[in-house]
Amino acid sequence: MSLKLLDITREIGIVTYDYPFGDYEVHEGFRGKPHYEYEKCIGCAACAIACPPNAINVSYLKDEDKSKWEFDCGRCIFCARCEEVCPTGAIYLTKEFENSVRFNKEDLLQIGELEVVRCRVCNKPFTTKRLINYVIERLEKTRVVMNEEKIELLHTCPECKKNQAVEQFTKSVRYGGFK
Amino acid sequence: MAKGEKFINKLKEKVKVLDVSYSTPDQVVVLVPRSDLVEAVRMLYYDMGGWLVSMIANDEREMNGHYALYYILSMEGGKMTIEDELPQDEKCFITIKTLIPETDPTYPSVTTKVPAAVWYEREAYDMFGLVAEGLPDKRRLVLPDDWPDNLHPLRKDAMDYRFRPDPVAPEDEPDYPFLFPEGDGVVDVPWGPLHITSDEPGHFRLFVDGETIIDADYRLYYQHRGMEKLAENRMNYDQMGFLAERVCGICGFNHAIACIEAVERASNIPVPRRAQFIRVICLELERLHSHLLNMGLACEVTGNVTAFMHLFRIREYTMELAQLITGGRKTYGNVMVGGVRRDITATEIKEAKVLLNKVEKYLKEAWEAIMEDDDQVERWRGVGRLDPKVARDFSPVGPNMRGSGFKRDTRYDHPFDVFDEIKFEVAVEYGCDVLSREKVRYKEVMEAISIIRQCFELMSGGPIFIKPDEYLIKPGNFALGNTEAPRGENIHWVMQGSAQKVYRWRCRAATYNNWPSLRFQFRGNDISDAALIVCSLDPCYSCTERITVVDVKTGKTKIITEKELKEYAKTRKNSPLKK
Repeated sequence: MSLKLLDITREIGIVTYDYPFGDYEVHEGFRGKPHYEYEKCIGCAACAIACPPNAINVSYLKDEDKSKWEFDCGRCIFCARCEEVCPTGAIYLTKEFENSVRFNKEDLLQIGELEVVRCRVCNKPFTTKRLINYVIERLEKTRVVMNEEKIELLHTCPECKKNQAVEQFTKSVRYGGFK
Repeated sequence: MAKGEKFINKLKEKVKVLDVSYSTPDQVVVLVPRSDLVEAVRMLYYDMGGWLVSMIANDEREMNGHYALYYILSMEGGKMTIEDELPQDEKCFITIKTLIPETDPTYPSVTTKVPAAVWYEREAYDMFGLVAEGLPDKRRLVLPDDWPDNLHPLRKDAMDYRFRPDPVAPEDEPDYPFLFPEGDGVVDVPWGPLHITSDEPGHFRLFVDGETIIDADYRLYYQHRGMEKLAENRMNYDQMGFLAERVCGICGFNHAIACIEAVERASNIPVPRRAQFIRVICLELERLHSHLLNMGLACEVTGNVTAFMHLFRIREYTMELAQLITGGRKTYGNVMVGGVRRDITATEIKEAKVLLNKVEKYLKEAWEAIMEDDDQVERWRGVGRLDPKVARDFSPVGPNMRGSGFKRDTRYDHPFDVFDEIKFEVAVEYGCDVLSREKVRYKEVMEAISIIRQCFELMSGGPIFIKPDEYLIKPGNFALGNTEAPRGENIHWVMQGSAQKVYRWRCRAATYNNWPSLRFQFRGNDISDAALIVCSLDPCYSCTERITVVDVKTGKTKIITEKELKEYAKTRKNSPLKK
């Protein structure tokens, strides 16, 4: 073996980090484990749609007035698409990279339960209370006056809205159509 | 004169050309009748200096009632000598397309004239049931041995993508018919499972006479994951890039870029200049860490652990560089149709330059020390010879090819992104052996450092992304995307379908083109060099679990563990075969 390599070794000295006994500093902008802020989440499910490996799922719990936001770190690919699409900044990537858990895979999960709103017409749960409040807040910022009718419309599920629209349309056709 | 016209005129002298179309200015598609397929590919390959880049079978029955075959040739000159190369403005991709009627799914085998097509034609049978008449090797390639006989998964009407046929009981499982050379005293050495870059473990059989390998055969695709079918059925374009990245743990970014650029080219989507620079930087970053890994392993396999440790020490800086620029130690999750997702800031560039200087300085120092070490260099010299004639027939790619004196580099032959503005030398060595391949890798690391530096200088401001509403994806369009991954050229071919999904996606990883000629590289070498030869191809060399040795004369079977083989490769003492 070449002695020159040994010379280099002596010159360089120790290069390994103390980790895990010491800290390992990651760079600014490192994409580590996503952090979920329950307080900010409005349950819009934008993150669940954007997530390529289906690590985030949003579902409605049966027989309960809650919807469940669930993130499985074991499936996460740390792409930060969720962070990109979240309208309220409720999920963002941290610098944390120690993701292993002991014995229990449940520890990989982050779960948030949000109160749901039922449709005024058909009584099925279709969205969360926070999402409706968020929409009202945003609309008010754009100086839309919120009246009773509009609020009611917000509390109707897309399916019923569709039916109502068709109903109105056929009624107006029956009584002489649009003028 | 449009690109490729010269070749097409020559083709027309002997072959009936039904139609000529352009998917991009340098990608020509020539439709020929089935009977003229072999002659058309042969003429382009041998007479006009083409190389087989990929072959795609496609089920187009919904569109025109036929199956289709696309043989893609990269026209760049034979390159056997320095003069034997086409001028830069004539280089292009020519696709020979032929239609196969549904009622008679056969076609004449191109492999009889152009051996490079062998794997592609075997795969076309597995996936589509298209029979190549006259194909010398008709064994299964992609599908498992116990897969039902008449189920060809990529046919559009064959099966749901979630369907899994019932596994066969172990005793009923058919044996794979390995080749066996004739002659007395030949010992058959099965070797595997072996994890390699082309995504799956493999099983090798080395046929040895004493200690010398006289031939080899291998079975790969033990973990074919059917991602092409998955993408057709489930993924949209944004998700597909993320799936393409997971083809490889080392050169994932290259796959993502090739895949996304195929989509972009087919729809003529303009990518912002800054995004192109960032893409090039990430591609070269990948080359840095991949080559350092392989150079280190080439030392380790031969027992030089000190050199391995040094090269890995240097590699750590390149991983840190990746973390700095992309936010993760791998360059994953950054590409999407229309640009890249993450910008590079001025501070990051400043820090990156410091790290680049470190890599350059330390690597130069360490490599010089390794090259002065005769013990090391002699273990590499003359081993695993890839004969230029074999190489011409089988179209290998990457350092494997450039170590045999061919100046083939897709960055240079078919520049993509901003590679036409950047100055770089294509590293070529003429020794045809492992030593040459490692030297090529060293030169390429140095070039990659210089390319990244140039990118930092030339990079202008501006957007890194164009919005999805600024482009339109047209069903039926197709194009190929090419990148030069650390281990050779990656080709992705995408035909767009409706509803934000691909109609057909064909991914061809670099090593796919390197495997068929590996057999010739084994021949005549010592069994202790087998690991080194596979390593010099640069597949991910991680889990050579064990070897089974079958002595043909006595019929005895012996299992050699990974430890024993590794020990023998390092010390070359106490051959496990003799115990």
